[in-house]
This record gives sequence, C-alpha cells and structure tokens, in this order.
Amino acid sequence: MKQKEKDLKVLLVDDEVAFADTLAQRLKMRNLKVGTAHDGEQALSKIKEEEPNVIVLDLQMPGIHGMEVLREIKKAYPDIQVIVLSGHGTDKDEEEVRRLGGFDFLKKPADIDHLEYTIRKAFQKKIERTM
Amino acid sequence: MEDKKSYDLRFLHMRFIGKIIAGFTHEIKNYIAIIKESAGLIEDMIKLGIASKSDPDQYVEIIRSIEEQIEKTNSLFRYLNRFAHRMDNELSAFNVNESLEELIALLTRIANQKKISLEKDFQHDIPSITSSPSMLQFLVFHFLEENIARLDKNSRLIVKTAPLKNSIEVRIIPKGNFLTMEMEKEKIPDEILNNVIRQLGGSISHGSEEDTIITLPAAST
Repeated sequence: MKQKEKDLKVLLVDDEVAFADTLAQRLKMRNLKVGTAHDGEQALSKIKEEEPNVIVLDLQMPGIHGMEVLREIKKAYPDIQVIVLSGHGTDKDEEEVRRLGGFDFLKKPADIDHLEYTIRKAFQKKIERTM
Repeated sequence: MEDKKSYDLRFLHMRFIGKIIAGFTHEIKNYIAIIKESAGLIEDMIKLGIASKSDPDQYVEIIRSIEEQIEKTNSLFRYLNRFAHRMDNELSAFNVNESLEELIALLTRIANQKKISLEKDFQHDIPSITSSPSMLQFLVFHFLEENIARLDKNSRLIVKTAPLKNSIEVRIIPKGNFLTMEMEKEKIPDEILNNVIRQLGGSISHGSEEDTIITLPAAST
C-alpha cells in the first residue's frame, strides 16, 4: 500500500493562478505530487500528459465550466477521482457533482488537512476501482 | 398601489444589484482564499523549518502576495461602496466615467468567465452631469450583459464615453464573433428600457455595426 501511495498524483485546476500555485506548494509539502492547470481546456490536455489519479477542480472558470470538465473527465477516465473545490457552489451544484460521479464537494477556503485527507481517500477509491 | 411597470422596474433593478453583489462576493472570496493559503504556507514553512533565517526572501515573497490580495480586496470594496452610494439620491451630480469604471470593475469577472475582455475608452475631459447614476449603471449593465451573452469567447467589449454639445454619449461596442445560438438570458422588455431612458431625458439608439448608444442630457430634465 505504501508503495502505491507514492503513485498518488494530483492535478489542481483553478483559474486563480496565485491560489492554485500556493495550494500546490502546500500539498507538495505533504508529500503529494501536484500539477496545476488554470482552465478546463488546459486541464483536459494535462490529464493526458500527467495521468493524475485525483483531480481537485474549481467550478467557475473562464471558458469551459468546471461541471462540463467533470462530465468530460468521468466520460473519458471514469477511474480518476474528482474533488470539486469551489467558492460558490450551491446545494444544487453539489447534487450535480455527485450525480456526475464527483468524489466530494468542498468549499473554499478548505482546511488543508481535510483536503489532504480527502485526496488520500479519493486515491484509495481509485486503487479499489482498478484492482 | 405600485403599478405594474414600476413594480417590474423595481424588480429588475433589484436583480441587477443582486448580480453585482454576487460577482463582488465571488471575487472577494477568491482573494480571501489566496490570503488563507498564503498564510497557511508560511505556517507550513515555519513548522517544517523549510525557510531558515538565511533565506528570508521566501517569506517576504509570500507576504508581498498577501499584501497584493489585500490591496485588490480593498479596491473592490471601494468600488462596491461607491456603487451602493449611487442610490442615495434619485438624482445627483456625478462623473459618468467614474460610475462606469466601478460598474466595469464589478463586471470584469463575469466577462472573464466567457474569456471576453471588458475595456474602457473614456474621454477624460467629460463634464459631470446631473441624472440618476444608478439607472445609468442599470442600463449599461443590461447592454453589457446582453453582449456578453451574444459574443463568442476571445471577443472584446468596449465602453466608450464622449461629451457632445449638450449631452454625454455612452457607446457599447462589441468586437468579435457573435454566437449563432445565444446563451440563455432573461430579456428586459424594450418598454421598460425606453421608460427608464425617457425618465432620464435621454435616448437609446443603435449605431453602425452592433453598437448601442446611450445619450444623456448634460443638465437634468
């Protein structure tokens, strides 16, 4: 299991560059491998390149809306676990995220320890699904 | 009892204010999230002993980033405060450029969501006018929102002001490709828009191409 945890790769998708970069730094300090993307299009192309296991996704971004990105990810890569991290999601958004197969729905600003815990839990689910 | 037209206008005006506040809170929440993560990063660095006394620049860089977010927050609060005070009196003397600048600042994020660049082209020597700044913002917001819905991504939307002989002109100029299918948007009936501009003693017209022109008298009617 330890060996597998080393494979945990996170892609953080948020249009606020300063937010994404700072959060990525904090997660890296917690021994996670983290990449960033700043819009939906970039995220979809980085998934191909970096093959993350867990994606932390904002909803309101320029261009493709996060919900649409989630739909496309789950269609093309059903095993990748997606955690939505949004500042403005409503209960209806949360329902939709879960309906589309999102792993969890967190609100910004999230507690870093809780986010790390959720990412690791999502990774466990990914492992179970692919075993 | 309030007649239907007044009720509809009041409702639409309230909806406009609601949208402005929603956009504002969205932006502020983002700045706060960045501040929180930056402060958390400093805490992590101290706890993990990552930056030592010999390399204080790492801390300074993060502190600068926090200060930058606080400045952005402060600036947006200033715009919202000015926006709120536009409703203090039905009519007041105001600078059209200033009232539109705050509207654009509060609307930029909505435009950015569609990758549309919201730009201002203000003539600086524009005289103050006596009118209803809030209603002018309501009208301009309507036309900006309408164009944001119609324009394809990577387009531009320019708000231009110019003084005429006895009036001020505000021109909304879309540049780019229009979508074949518009995004869903609640339309404001022309009757209401015409009613508002009539109350302000001005006019709404359409220029060549897709421009919308709002003209307001320099003196109140």
